[in-house]
Amino acid sequence: MTMTSNEKKVTDKDLRQIMWRSLTMEFGWNYERQMHLAFAYMMAPLMKKLYGDDQKEYAESLERQMEFFNCTPQFVPFIGGVVASMEEENSKEKDFDVSTISAIKTALMGPLSGIGDSLFLGTLRVLAIGIAASLSLKGNILGPILFLLIYNVPAYIVRYFGVKAGYNMGTSYLNKIQASGLMDKFKDAAGILGVMVIGAMTQNMVVVKVVAKFGTGKTATSLQSILDGILPGLLSLVVLYIFYVLNKKKVNVLWQLLGATVIGVLLTVWGVLGV
Amino acid sequence: MSNVGTSLLIGLIGFMGPLDFVIGSNMLNRPIILGPLVGLVLGNLTQGIIIGASLELVFMGAISVGAYLPPDVIVGGVLGTAFAISLGKGVGAAIAIAMPIAMLSLAIGNLTSVIFPAIAHIGDRYAKQGKPGGITASLWGIGLIECTRRGILCFLGYFVGNAGMKTLLGMIPQNVIDGLQVAANMLPAIGFAILLQMIINDTVLPYFFLGFLLSAYLKVPVLGVALFGLIIVVVKLHNDKSKPAVSANGSVEEDIDDDDDF
Repeated sequence: MTMTSNEKKVTDKDLRQIMWRSLTMEFGWNYERQMHLAFAYMMAPLMKKLYGDDQKEYAESLERQMEFFNCTPQFVPFIGGVVASMEEENSKEKDFDVSTISAIKTALMGPLSGIGDSLFLGTLRVLAIGIAASLSLKGNILGPILFLLIYNVPAYIVRYFGVKAGYNMGTSYLNKIQASGLMDKFKDAAGILGVMVIGAMTQNMVVVKVVAKFGTGKTATSLQSILDGILPGLLSLVVLYIFYVLNKKKVNVLWQLLGATVIGVLLTVWGVLGV
Repeated sequence: MSNVGTSLLIGLIGFMGPLDFVIGSNMLNRPIILGPLVGLVLGNLTQGIIIGASLELVFMGAISVGAYLPPDVIVGGVLGTAFAISLGKGVGAAIAIAMPIAMLSLAIGNLTSVIFPAIAHIGDRYAKQGKPGGITASLWGIGLIECTRRGILCFLGYFVGNAGMKTLLGMIPQNVIDGLQVAANMLPAIGFAILLQMIINDTVLPYFFLGFLLSAYLKVPVLGVALFGLIIVVVKLHNDKSKPAVSANGSVEEDIDDDDDF
């Protein structure tokens, strides 16, 4: 993409405004176009600045922002920055193809959601709960406070730097990243961290305890102690695997919750499992 | 019937929950945060903190990932905590109450959300005229309906439900309540399974077991496991970098090599 002029219309102040307005991203969610209202709300002031002189162009630019949008909220400022750079280019260059703006926006949504969800929901949130819950379960008020800090400090750092990074990168640089495989590497790195934490949490927090015993009287052997001798948390792993398969087969989560509850109660009443 | 003032405050907590989505999705509406607030209203902050954290663990998987809509953690968490404290029945009861309420609220939410796309189309009309105010109004319209729905459910649930919940819980035998606790202990696995499915591939699969085994045999806490993971990631990225420069078009083959010899 060639810049027709080096004159920048988008200022730091505009980018900061995009960042602040992105905080509304999960409000107004609907099945049809999901986060589109908040996305349009986020970009609207810049559209006014870039196209305000021409009412028709301005209206078209607003309609453009109302397309389907869904992404991890913390990464939205980055996409906002990229879109800002492209809209700026479009406002300067007459024969700019606006369909590339939609294309790039859509192309970014998927991978960034993948990274963002595994980073923020899969890793950071789980980590925050893991650390905070142990305090909270003892009734310590530091638990909820720590939970918020661990999750949100990185979240806002990503937002703050994301919007500028997105703008500076523009489109050409992003292509370079994608082509060099950096995007995949980053996704893998986040994935390794994420699954390790999930592995540890499965062992820690999915508790399945067998109370049934072999034999009777004094010679009775607790089944649980045998299982613990092999691998502590073996049954947690089995339970996780069952749910994993059910999810893969797209069994509705509500049925899974219901099924687990019924089976858990039945096995307890029958004396197989216990608290 | 519960005290009207207390019920209103419980309703207010439910109303404020979804407002977190307009100020940055800061996880302020999770049970681990709303639980203590409910505890404060009912005069037992400590129990609120404890029950909130327990519900957080149970509901951990209940988070919207992609298009999946989870049970309503806000209403379930608020009412579950509120009833458990006011009835003095503790964590097991909170979970037993929260889960069906959360599912019921999701069902009601699915009904009300049918009209949301129609509201969004009002925004389209204004966008077409170059009036961003209409977009903002649609955004707040949908959002505030969600707040109101949760506020009303929490208020009504607590207002009429307290006495009813009390008799209901009294009717449940102890081993069934234990059974609900057993089930609740398994439920985080659903959340983990959903997350895993999102992240897992052949490259990262072994690291899941590494995390599990570190915790199982060496009793490394979660934070410790994450720090080990961080070291692995740094080493892995460094190894990649110290190899001959990756050409822009040869990246795919390079990636496969990296995975093999790691």
